[in-house]
Amino acid sequence: MLILQLLASGIQTGVLYGLTAAGFALIFGATRVFHVAHGATFVLAGYAFVLGAQAGLPWPVSCLLALVVAIGFGLFMDAFVYRPIQRHEGAFFTVFVAAFGASLVVQNLIQFCVGRGSVSVSTPLTRASEILPGLYVAPVFWIAIGVAVALFALVTMFLDRTDAGVALRGLSENPELLRAFGLSSRRLSALAFGIGSAMTVPGAILTAATSGIEPAAGAHVVLISLAAAVVGGIGSLRGAALAGLLLGITENLIIAVLDTQWSEAAGFLVLFAFILFRPSGLFGQAVRR
Amino acid sequence: MTAYLLNLATLATIFGILAASLNVLIGYAGIFSVAHAVFFGVGAYAGAQVALNLVPDVLLASLAGGLLSGLLSLCLALPALRVRGEYFVAASLGLQMLAVTVFSEAHSLTGGHGGLVGIPPASLLGIDVSSPWRFLAVCVGALTLSLVSIAILMRGGFGRGLMAIRDSESAAEALGKNVPALKTIAVAIGCSLAGVAGTLFAFQLAFINVESFTLEQSVLLMAMVIIGGAGTLLGPLVGTLLLLLLPAVLSFIPFIPATEIGTVQQLVYGLAMTLLMIFRPAGLAAPSTGRR
Repeated sequence: MLILQLLASGIQTGVLYGLTAAGFALIFGATRVFHVAHGATFVLAGYAFVLGAQAGLPWPVSCLLALVVAIGFGLFMDAFVYRPIQRHEGAFFTVFVAAFGASLVVQNLIQFCVGRGSVSVSTPLTRASEILPGLYVAPVFWIAIGVAVALFALVTMFLDRTDAGVALRGLSENPELLRAFGLSSRRLSALAFGIGSAMTVPGAILTAATSGIEPAAGAHVVLISLAAAVVGGIGSLRGAALAGLLLGITENLIIAVLDTQWSEAAGFLVLFAFILFRPSGLFGQAVRR
Repeated sequence: MTAYLLNLATLATIFGILAASLNVLIGYAGIFSVAHAVFFGVGAYAGAQVALNLVPDVLLASLAGGLLSGLLSLCLALPALRVRGEYFVAASLGLQMLAVTVFSEAHSLTGGHGGLVGIPPASLLGIDVSSPWRFLAVCVGALTLSLVSIAILMRGGFGRGLMAIRDSESAAEALGKNVPALKTIAVAIGCSLAGVAGTLFAFQLAFINVESFTLEQSVLLMAMVIIGGAGTLLGPLVGTLLLLLLPAVLSFIPFIPATEIGTVQQLVYGLAMTLLMIFRPAGLAAPSTGRR
């Protein structure tokens, strides 16, 4: 039953990876910004939730706090870091370095103010019960799947059905044309950053509630998002979500055959192979660059 | 105190070579690698193995370190030929993460997390160069040699070809430049220099483990090049000095607790990276009207 148990925990991590990666893909697809500080958003949201809960706030308020912090940070990065750089036709690497610097700042600020170790919130929801012989599943498992699926459906519906969503997709394909139609690309990119950052919140909260969250967690999150976005085909939300799910499952299943140290490496081997042999990803169109 | 300063100076020289070698990739070829610590590590392990098992000769060990790093640089050249921009950064990140796992798991070659200990004192062609002053001289020699060769290479046709690729790959190709060959050679040169720096590093510390070859190290190197000014000869050296002296300076500020120096240092260089990219994307050493 080890395999089933690993599969279950793989799915739980995977759906959250997928959701976070889809947020990254949404931002990259719409604004062409390689948002490496996405992991910092994740960590900030997690810490906001934990600190809120520790201060005695009821949990919906803490969740709301996490949401506000995540969206706030995303909008801040867009308005005060990426936009000034793009104003003087910044090369992509300039953006990348600036975002990397910002995530270092966030990580070390948290380390300095709260401490290096991981923090967590204990909840009865993580208490596992046996649903099949040898298979233990906690309520968190169902919550993770439910929230991830619902939020992902909501975002895809928004992108497909509403005017703003269609405009957002248009932004990725032809920003000049969009401007010619009188739409503000500035407002749309803020929208992309807002939604994309909000998509890290469920993962951050559930991570804080299960395994705990630490200041350095952002690096791992952003590496996973990036890997999922590339494997899924850059800019494709469905691809990124599916690839995130697969990465989560692989990471856990591989423990059945190899030592745990190799689980992260396995994910990156997949990434490396994809870039070499199929850079357009699972669902991507041909690479544009 | 003298010993401390000598150690700092030697490390600065070694990191100077590293930053200059990364600059060949980032600044001249436009290959934005975040896996440079991998080749630093490969050189360090290879050099250390030569010193431990054959002879502790700096020249021989550096040659071995440089050659092996140069060979393995194909792992980086391959994706550099296939993809550009974000995709390449992702590929080099993947390589970096894989390498860290290999470094910490391949116990017979790298000693795992415990690392390789007891690297013998260095000699050069039979002369003992292990005293701090002499080893500093060796490192300064290596740095000078690297800088001079980079300067000569970049002034010639090879360097101009590279910079043409960096600025517009299709234009360079249309002019008949052999883009794959130029890129592969540039990656090989940069990575073998990093390997040489790795060997010197192994001799200087007499102990190496995977901690020195992680993603954080790669980012620190990247910060040195970017903060100093990519694509300039002296920029990476300026960046190296600034970032290496930073922790030393911070330790003299009384109100920062000693255990938090690492945190504050990373905080400062993260902030410096972000602010520089916003206000001065060409780096400190570039002329102020620099364009990119």
